[in-house]
Amino acid sequence: MKVITKNEQQTIKLGEKFGQTLKGGEVVLLVGDLGAGKTTFVKGVAKALGVKRVVNSPTFVLMKIYVIKNKELRITNLIHIDTYRGLDIGDLKNIGAVEYFKRKDCVSFVEWGESLEDYLKKEKINFKKIVIKNISETKREFNFIE
Amino acid sequence: MKKQLTILAIESSCDETAAAVLSGSRYMLHDTGHSFKILSNCVSSQVQVHAKYGGVVPEVAARLHIEKILPMIQLALKQAKKKIAEIDYIAVTAGPGLMSSLMIGTETAKTLALALNKQLIRINHIEGHLLSITEQLEFPAVGLVVSGGHTQIILVKDYLKYKLIGETRDDAAGEAFDKVAKILGLGYPGGPAISVAAAKVESVKSIPGIEIKLPRPMLDKVGFEMSFSGLKTSVLYKWNELVKILSPENLDKARNLMAYEFQKAVVEVLVAKTAAAALKFKAKTIVLGGGVSANKWLRSEMLRVISEKLPDVNVLMPEMKMAGDNAAMIAQAAYFHVLKKDFIEPTKLKPDPGWELVS
Repeated sequence: MKVITKNEQQTIKLGEKFGQTLKGGEVVLLVGDLGAGKTTFVKGVAKALGVKRVVNSPTFVLMKIYVIKNKELRITNLIHIDTYRGLDIGDLKNIGAVEYFKRKDCVSFVEWGESLEDYLKKEKINFKKIVIKNISETKREFNFIE
Repeated sequence: MKKQLTILAIESSCDETAAAVLSGSRYMLHDTGHSFKILSNCVSSQVQVHAKYGGVVPEVAARLHIEKILPMIQLALKQAKKKIAEIDYIAVTAGPGLMSSLMIGTETAKTLALALNKQLIRINHIEGHLLSITEQLEFPAVGLVVSGGHTQIILVKDYLKYKLIGETRDDAAGEAFDKVAKILGLGYPGGPAISVAAAKVESVKSIPGIEIKLPRPMLDKVGFEMSFSGLKTSVLYKWNELVKILSPENLDKARNLMAYEFQKAVVEVLVAKTAAAALKFKAKTIVLGGGVSANKWLRSEMLRVISEKLPDVNVLMPEMKMAGDNAAMIAQAAYFHVLKKDFIEPTKLKPDPGWELVS
């Protein structure tokens, strides 16, 4: 499924819609260039899950964990990971990220996540992939791949 | 009880392994005249190692921390002319930072505290940056902490009383510097690389027919939130266009111009938001901290704008060697925690990669 967003606000809205469909246990790989809107999309997801804290770039700390206090949801943690710096699966194990992929009460979003595909397939961990293309300075194409 | 106290501080939250020794006088927290002196401030930087990856790699960072942490502690003690038995307190950064890096520091500090039977203080890395100046703060103070991982404006109501009033909605300022440097092919770490390129602009400020102008994100919005991700995207698009149309010689000029304009845009936003916060909270002091506070343009612009708009506000900036990550700032923050008798049981100390500074 492909969706075009015309600006940042629409990207947040799209993330919000996607966030509303989450049930827990999802691992989502976000694929796209610098400035594609990966973090912006996760902002929308966080909004849908009721996260109050500012969701900003995890590039530096590699992983940010947002606690979700919505009792109507099974999801208790939103995990936001960034492998921009060339992290491999060893690094992700090292920071404890991989443990969250198997938890049904967590949803994980991995920016620059394409490098994890082989590992996830091998471990039989289900994942979704969202490929984001820059069409113009503000316009983006989101391609949702199950 | 001795009148003088001695603190050994350890910092390993990211890619610097650091240890420092502080000697201070023992007063109550609000007594005037408490004073301290940094006896040693030792930093082993891994930045050269990480440069080839374009950023810090946690596995590598942790391994280097393990190698360097004891030599750094020994060096700090030696330079301070102190024996380990003469240390009264052990302080350590417990977050925010990289989990695998923080653990090396916290485990070392716990072990030392237990083995030597000393009291242990856990320090928030951001608090360290806020207290990286040696002058006394006048309250209320507004702090701007800018680094690769953080861009926050914090209201300091009193010693150890902090409130986050604004932060970046997306990329940290230092992170934007790194990523823009990568786009422009200027290397890592991005902050110094961009500053060097920007400094070459002085003579040639334009290329005929080409205008390099970037937005000033959030500048006109009320409040203290900042955003640097869009700025990075603007650079990406403008640069890709320029690469298509410019000759190699003009492209070199354009690269410097882009660095100049980018640095100007970031600094303008940081200074304006800090000034607005200082005005709103009637701050007596503005204090800067973090790696990006070493940026000369930021320092001079902050001084210029504040002296113009808020002449009664005192601007305090860390010495260059105290701007980046170091343990002396952790020792200084710990000094105030000691005065407040704020200690933690060694067995209860856990690193917290997402530790938010609130009180």
